[in-house]
Amino acid sequence: MFGFIKKSRKILGMDARNLIYIRPFNLKSAKKIADDKLLCKKILKKNGISVPKLIAKIKTYEELENFDWSTLPDSFALKPNRGLGGEGIIVVYGKKKPARNALLGNADENTPACWIKADGSLISIEDLKAHIRNILDGSFSLSNTPDTAFFEERIRLLKLFKPYSYKGIPDIRIIVFNKVPVMAMLRLPTEASKGKANLQQGAIGVGIDLATGTTTTAVLGKNKLIEYVPGTRMLLSGIKIPYWNDILNLAVKTQEISGLGYLGVDVAIDKEDGPIILELNARPGLSIQIANLAGLKERLERVSELKIKTAKKGIRVGMDLFGGEIEEELEEISGKKVIGTVEKVKLIGKDEREIESEARIDTGAYSSSIDAELAKELGFQKTLEEFSKIDLAAYEISHEKENEIKKVFMEKYKKIIPEIEDVAVVISSSGSSIRPTIKINFILDKITIASKVNVIDRGNLKYPILIGRSDLKKFLIEIK
Amino acid sequence: MEIHLSPIVGFFAGQGVPLETILLLLMLPIIATFIAFLRQVVGIKAFGIYTPLIVTFSFLATNGVKYGATIFLSVVIIGMLMRFALKPFRLLYLPRVAIMLTVVTIVILGILVLGGNARRTGLAHVSIFPILIMITIVEKFVAVQIEKGDKMAIRLALETLVISILGYYLASSKILLEFIASYPWTILFTIPINILLGKWTGLRLTEYFRFKEVIKKMP
Repeated sequence: MFGFIKKSRKILGMDARNLIYIRPFNLKSAKKIADDKLLCKKILKKNGISVPKLIAKIKTYEELENFDWSTLPDSFALKPNRGLGGEGIIVVYGKKKPARNALLGNADENTPACWIKADGSLISIEDLKAHIRNILDGSFSLSNTPDTAFFEERIRLLKLFKPYSYKGIPDIRIIVFNKVPVMAMLRLPTEASKGKANLQQGAIGVGIDLATGTTTTAVLGKNKLIEYVPGTRMLLSGIKIPYWNDILNLAVKTQEISGLGYLGVDVAIDKEDGPIILELNARPGLSIQIANLAGLKERLERVSELKIKTAKKGIRVGMDLFGGEIEEELEEISGKKVIGTVEKVKLIGKDEREIESEARIDTGAYSSSIDAELAKELGFQKTLEEFSKIDLAAYEISHEKENEIKKVFMEKYKKIIPEIEDVAVVISSSGSSIRPTIKINFILDKITIASKVNVIDRGNLKYPILIGRSDLKKFLIEIK
Repeated sequence: MEIHLSPIVGFFAGQGVPLETILLLLMLPIIATFIAFLRQVVGIKAFGIYTPLIVTFSFLATNGVKYGATIFLSVVIIGMLMRFALKPFRLLYLPRVAIMLTVVTIVILGILVLGGNARRTGLAHVSIFPILIMITIVEKFVAVQIEKGDKMAIRLALETLVISILGYYLASSKILLEFIASYPWTILFTIPINILLGKWTGLRLTEYFRFKEVIKKMP
């Protein structure tokens, strides 16, 4: 009980946030920048910070009527300037070309174009106009004050994030105080949040280790701690966020430029352009503490007295103070990577087919094995088909006969079964079997390993992949 | 009511200010402080300070919390239903609120008639001003609905109701009334209390629950 109260002092509450950090460090003039997306974009751009490119803005009904719709690209995002919590944003992914009609001279004018939204539904110019009218009327802005609508380029989803996010674009929230990044989380849109990266609406928040940019713990919505993306086997921890140093650098620089002393920076990563500042938040929420299972107040207090001169120094301080150094240190000493007992593995099969899935790391097994379904997806359908035609009952399985079986089998069937590398004779308490072995590459913690894996039906097992010790020479395994 | 009046309260009453009005006014800073305490230390948000305060006072004026709460809840439920009903029309803000007010008025009229019919004279005799106050809750409710969503609006409305009911019992407690009548100057103590509340940086009670898991799992 006393421990609980003592530890609770590390947590930043609403009252402390407002009184100690927002009030003195976020002046009214600076808050204006955070609340006005267009102004923010302009200022950041002038200072060389990358932001989504502005395509056009519409301030009045008149401008709306005179707007030249043909200037819009195939994909864009339409946003209210002072929108809250991602409300009122429409994103289109492509243009549906008007049906060409040879009889009409210029078909374009008669049959105007349509755009395609994330869910595949179509949106016409008329729909867009109606939406913009709503924005202008202030339907999405704070206390319904009239607003401006603008089009900006759409951020393209990073391949890495694809399996983790539902429709929208994930973003990274970083709290920066006194030029030091103090806490960060990756926000993943879910079905419940309707594709928005907003925790209040049910998105996932994943804590990030500041030193390495690797995800740690996760929260779904406001309060539920989770380990996997709901309904999948995608582990949320251990995602390595690309461009991590650049992201921190952008966040700290943005804080310097904005003049907001206590700032929540939202960064997205574009597939081609890399990290990009989405939005600034002068009153960043407190749930980031749940995602990280760490207290903000303690962290803020630790950096508040420091004199930080440059962004570089601030980032270093943040990484040193709020990053878990243990793993990195171990890796430096042994030259081996430290991995857990369950890790994400990317299998590379025939024709560069890639499948990412989770694997059980098991030093008790000698060789690695994968599920038959995975092998099929990787392009070894034929191999398995041919293998299944063979009557294995003819072989008497035992340790002594292992080499003999292999030899006999391969001599007999090597030509018949395509792509078979070898057979594995597996003898275990749960039953012995002869399995086909295939050659594939897999990537585990950024290291590519050329392996020979055996194939078996693992449908009833928790992980479709098992990595045995023959493939683990470059790793140390940490048992949690 | 046999209470000892302080000279100053006696003086006000002697000038023709009704005693009930004096006591209600004296009660106001206490209720306001109570609401500030609930927000800052306990963490019950409600619709700011003004709304729970006037709802408390309209409860005080509606002959009991029962009828007041009934009207309040009907207003919130109608506000909720009307949002869905009006959504397809895509109306601008003020006309939309005006339509809601119309419906709320009709329903409240209906409730009063029903009350009269069932010989619940207490309900039918509720004076007009508290009812008007309740009706204006609709606007507050709609504003929050738009800004923070339906769930939040309902939550804040219920919190407002809870605070108002607590405030009602506080303001109608006999001991407190007698105390205020005897020592009206004590309301000045609410100022230092509020200065302390205004400097409060500890966790709110509700935040202990919100961050329960974090606190437990922190090293």
